[in-house]
Amino acid sequence: MHDDDLDSDVTDRLLLQRMANGDRAALGILYRSYHGRLCRFLGRLTRRPEVIEEVINDCFWIAWQKAGSFHGDSRVSTWLMGIAYRSGLKTLRQHGDAPVEDDPRREERSAAHDLDEDRELRDWLSKGLDRLSADQRVVIELVYGVGHSLDEVAVIMQCPVGTVKARLFHARVKLRNVLPGLAGEPPQRTEAMP
Amino acid sequence: MTFPMDSGKDCVRAWEMMPWVLQDSATAEQGAWLEGHLAQCAACRAEFAQQSRLRLALSLPAQPAPDVEAGLGRLLQRLDAPAATPAPARARAAGWLNRALVAAVLVQALGIGILGVKLWSAGSAPAYRTLSEPSQSAPAGTIRVVPDAGMTLADWNALLHALRLQVVAGPNDVGAYTVAPASSASTAQQALQQLRSTRGIVLAEPVATP
Repeated sequence: MHDDDLDSDVTDRLLLQRMANGDRAALGILYRSYHGRLCRFLGRLTRRPEVIEEVINDCFWIAWQKAGSFHGDSRVSTWLMGIAYRSGLKTLRQHGDAPVEDDPRREERSAAHDLDEDRELRDWLSKGLDRLSADQRVVIELVYGVGHSLDEVAVIMQCPVGTVKARLFHARVKLRNVLPGLAGEPPQRTEAMP
Repeated sequence: MTFPMDSGKDCVRAWEMMPWVLQDSATAEQGAWLEGHLAQCAACRAEFAQQSRLRLALSLPAQPAPDVEAGLGRLLQRLDAPAATPAPARARAAGWLNRALVAAVLVQALGIGILGVKLWSAGSAPAYRTLSEPSQSAPAGTIRVVPDAGMTLADWNALLHALRLQVVAGPNDVGAYTVAPASSASTAQQALQQLRSTRGIVLAEPVATP
């Protein structure tokens, strides 16, 4: 774990302790700090932008209720992502899993906010993610998007590490077969490798 | 399940290492090893470039993202709303007669449920089986194999290929696969011996046949 991760976990634990004592300002800080990554994570899981806020609020509602029972067995981020995952699954069961590509508003919003390069990258990614199951999308997001380890993903999804490994493997193979390769482009990121 | 690159052990190792190097959680030695491998393997270089692009694409912010302050405002309102804990409030409001009726219905439902489970389990598992009744066991030559957790997929696939075996079931809860000879049962005994002498195989036992 990086020093930055350790620092943020210490901060998160203090915030949870304050929440357990009814401190709403602490809830606000935690909410703002996780909002971005939860939006992205739940967007990948549910693919329904209209339910994201509701799921985030379900997640923090539970976190508020259970803050006092957090024993520190995992990082706060792992604990919170686990709650978000289960809240998202519940919403998926209620609304179903449907791609958002048919939503015409999505195109308008993309055009308004994205640079061309970002939009191209989003389209490229969307082609691949459309072919994955919800669980495979979740593993890809948690590993590549959020930066969780296999062990942490197993805690979040409440399944054996071997299952996470298999989901990651299959997701990568599918993405590899579906996504247009970078043929002709120089491997520009090789040099940036640590 | 086949490995997506026609390559040796180094490529398999590189494939497994890429996500952790990309998220900067691999050790410096692992990073240096991967860099060395990429310098001489075009297939892995292309794969790593695609993986880097994947990470970059996944790091873009959600779109459209709901407004954070508006969402927080609604959450705080929800904490204050009496409807937030609806079940106990309604229960308190209900009279004792209602509660007694609900309890009676629950007891009945429980009884019917238990009876149903008993009937179902009695029907699904016959208490006896005649000796002449055909068994539903696996076909002749089937072997149950437990590979070591550290065995790579490439090694496992290579082993099955070499012994002309194919997976017919599994892995089950303890990670055991059921494998059978791909061609005929005549090689089963030989395959069993070879499996047992292979490093990385924790257990290989023939499945009992009728």
